[in-house]
Amino acid sequence: MGLGLLASKAMRPASRIFNSQNPRNFLFRTIVSKPELQKPETSAAQAQPDPPPVDLPPRTPVAGARVHFPNPDDAIEVFVDGYPVKIPKGMTVLQACEVAGVDIPRFCYHSRLSIAGNCRMCLVEVEKSPKPVASCAMPALPGMKIKTDTPVAKKAREGVMEFLLMNHPLDCPICDQGGECDLQDQSMAFGSDRGRFTEMKRSVVDKNLGPLVKTVMTRCIQCTRCVRFATEVAGVQDLGMLGRGSGEEIGTYVEKLMTSELSGNVIDICPVGALTSKPFAFKARNWELKGTESIDVTDAVGSNIRIDSRGPEVMRIVPRLNEDINEEWISDKTRFCYDGLKRQRLNDPMIRGADGRFKVVSWRDALAVVAEVAHQVKPEEIVGVAGKLSDAESMMALKDFLNRMGSNNIWCEGTGMNPNADLRSGYLMNTSIAGLEKADVFLLVGTQPRVEAAMVNARIRKTVRANQAKVGYIGPETDLNYDHQHLGTGPQTLLEIAERRHPFYSTLANAKHPVIIVGAGLFEREDKDTIFSTVETIAENAKVVRPDWNGLNVLLLNAAQAAALDLGLVPESGNSIESAKFVYLMGADDVNLDKIPGDAFVVYQGHHGDRSVYRANVIFPAAAFSEKEGIYENTEGYAQQTFPAVPTVGDARDDWKIIRALSEVAGIKLPYDSLGAIRARIRTVAPNLVHLDEREPATFTASLKPASSQKITLTPFENVVENFYMTDSITRASKIMAQCSALLTKK
Amino acid sequence: MSFTLRSVKVPPNSVNLEEARHRVFDFFRSACRSLPTVMEIYNLHDVATISQLRSAIATQFRKNSSVTNPKVIDMLLFKGMEELNNVVEHAKQRHHIIGQYVVGRQGLVQDLDTKDQGISNFLKNFYNSNYF
Amino acid sequence: MAELKEEGYLRCLPDGNLLQTKIHNIGARLVGVDKFGNKYYEKLEGVQYGRHRWVEYAEKSRYNASQVPAEWHGWLHFITDHTGDELLLLKPKRYGLDHKQNFSGEGDAFIYHSKGHALNPGQRDWTRYQPWQPTKA
Repeated sequence: MGLGLLASKAMRPASRIFNSQNPRNFLFRTIVSKPELQKPETSAAQAQPDPPPVDLPPRTPVAGARVHFPNPDDAIEVFVDGYPVKIPKGMTVLQACEVAGVDIPRFCYHSRLSIAGNCRMCLVEVEKSPKPVASCAMPALPGMKIKTDTPVAKKAREGVMEFLLMNHPLDCPICDQGGECDLQDQSMAFGSDRGRFTEMKRSVVDKNLGPLVKTVMTRCIQCTRCVRFATEVAGVQDLGMLGRGSGEEIGTYVEKLMTSELSGNVIDICPVGALTSKPFAFKARNWELKGTESIDVTDAVGSNIRIDSRGPEVMRIVPRLNEDINEEWISDKTRFCYDGLKRQRLNDPMIRGADGRFKVVSWRDALAVVAEVAHQVKPEEIVGVAGKLSDAESMMALKDFLNRMGSNNIWCEGTGMNPNADLRSGYLMNTSIAGLEKADVFLLVGTQPRVEAAMVNARIRKTVRANQAKVGYIGPETDLNYDHQHLGTGPQTLLEIAERRHPFYSTLANAKHPVIIVGAGLFEREDKDTIFSTVETIAENAKVVRPDWNGLNVLLLNAAQAAALDLGLVPESGNSIESAKFVYLMGADDVNLDKIPGDAFVVYQGHHGDRSVYRANVIFPAAAFSEKEGIYENTEGYAQQTFPAVPTVGDARDDWKIIRALSEVAGIKLPYDSLGAIRARIRTVAPNLVHLDEREPATFTASLKPASSQKITLTPFENVVENFYMTDSITRASKIMAQCSALLTKK
Repeated sequence: MSFTLRSVKVPPNSVNLEEARHRVFDFFRSACRSLPTVMEIYNLHDVATISQLRSAIATQFRKNSSVTNPKVIDMLLFKGMEELNNVVEHAKQRHHIIGQYVVGRQGLVQDLDTKDQGISNFLKNFYNSNYF
Repeated sequence: MAELKEEGYLRCLPDGNLLQTKIHNIGARLVGVDKFGNKYYEKLEGVQYGRHRWVEYAEKSRYNASQVPAEWHGWLHFITDHTGDELLLLKPKRYGLDHKQNFSGEGDAFIYHSKGHALNPGQRDWTRYQPWQPTKA
């Protein structure tokens, strides 16, 4: 909220009073006794004769608020401070004011949550209304004359603020919200400069909400945003309001932890310091932090984040608004994985000596050794695996390097040995994440969005709440935190639906906007082609893919997957790793190390000493996602890039630079020296990857594919993500994530 | 750095190698004598000892041991005195001293290895740092 | 309190402030003495309002306002009517620190050193990241 704007609004009527009517007020400044405030109605009428609208300068809506008219006939006109605005029917007074460019102070109102109307901060004056009205809960009516800066409105806000501050502790100097606190800002702008409160303040016992959210419940102003978030968005009935009157407090009904994968968002929506981040507590002040707008890589959603750093340290991660992907929420894994960036880091190139111990060497020596070994093996014995956190540039460089060495055995982990990379529709979320909101029936095949992509799950939940959409789920028993029908555990059920024998088929076929989501965990199955063609049969029968609606989706698991398949990281032969002599692991920690033959030379390039380093012969330290600029494509085909927030650690280098340098030492110089040049190379392979912040939908649908003749096996689908909190090398190094998985995962 | 210019007087040219050599030894002694002060003002007690710094200085001298032209020696002497003066006057910061004389002795010596000939600028930069 | 030694009369000769305080003290009520020996006086009649509470510092030659401990500060500056002895009872035992006067300019100034700074003894060994150690060889 623009504080300067608020302050100027609060100041304006006062200055008018001083100048025109009673200049002596300058000398005798009392707090409350202004003649206007004593008799607000009459003076308001005097001070504000409705000026002709032509005189008013055009105003810009607050925070770029857009007006969307679902039906042009329903437009009504209201007057905000005499300025006419056209808004659709059903908007509240507060929204009308935002469209008119007037920011109304509020605590309980949040545009993505239901309306509570209990903080009373948004009081405005409406003509012919006897009392000030709470604008967030009042629907705007045609011809309504709303006044936001009259003495009545101002006095009302001042009074509300005085009541809110009555029981609010004066501990801003030790409060973590200090500096980004709505109550602090608004009391500066709208509050009185002194209070009349002399009694003791009430105090509330703090609640234990788990390892992520710290509570100081005395600071709570009972806006109930967190309660509404938990029940509406996160879908857990953990938080609630207990007691009434001054005994009112927020709490878990019984002593329990908040077990939502979105619980960190209550930290952001809390307007005061009642709910703050536990790992961030007392670590830094928000004005010391440098924000870098970046992308999350811990899952395939690509949530927009801001990395807040102080000096060389990442201090916290907060969400950034992106309506298409994560709205304004992020998952706990995204928010709290950052302490993993400081632990278990690889900071020097190392070579394993003859005695089996690692020795720190210079880049020069490490590159020379690797280049020499790479030339000694046969081209088809060279294998490269890109990890789940790799950016598009480094995967492009790795593929080019291996191709120049004569090998084409390169893939990205998690995509299986025989991925379908020919048609983008075969591995992308074709409906798009925002498009899921239109759906009315979901069929989840072997995917648990709650742990695989928490933001997609939040979107599905939103749809289920808004449209009463039905959800059918095939896979192992799980809790998706919305109502769903558990249809079965394996391909058996899928076949039944495909043969129209299952009752869910009619639900799917009768739906206006049916959506099928297939989990990327199925890529690893032997019979994946058959499963996918079965799903396509269902899609065809139930008219899931139509010219105006594509409801056939694949939900990917890792940040690197979509870009890897776009770049064509497809292995030539399925079992190349068993016969490999030279394995290049680019951050691949979930590769099956037992499959690599004992005499193979393994190069590990990555940022964390996680799993694969123990098998490596040479270690190249690389930059983590917070330290480099890299393109990532999310599961719906939305290309975005990370930006470096902090410098790299030790002697580490960016991933693509390592491969570029290695190629030169090996005598097959790759033709790009800069990020721009390598992006130009990517443009020739997959132009959609360099169209940043843009979703490129797949053009052809999967119907062009030949039918598979594989035999379907009836083994049930498995859990793909065992532990939501620890899925990659960064989160596995994080202490906070370890704590979470110990306390919060269901046993 | 006006104080530097003020206090580093340009000595008259050495007439022969013998005089230049004499001056070099004088300068070495004065540098060594300033070391306790340097340790104190830069707070180096926990990272280096006086003898380490002394050998670091000696290395700098030996690096140019092959120079026999008195004029060149005078020039090097002047640069050395300037450097010493900057150090003693606290014109540097702690990390300068640590970086140049305590840890990165090889960082001062320009790496003119024959291995690097014929490699691209990219690789040369790559060996130096990640940021280029 | 009468047995407390009155001292510093000789210092009055060069120090007018002290002389003034001593004259002020005549007829005033000694409200309390803190643990450093600073004496706190109050006189309600015959003085200008706002000058009715004052301190005579224990140290007669180098005194300054930071020698008044926190518990007496409020009383002395008319923030509260509770004397320092009363407020001392509220001081938390477990983590309440002893009062320390400001030594700036006298060699013991408090200077903030960030973590990892050479002069920050507590966090001297701080590093921004923890490297992976190749233990299992």
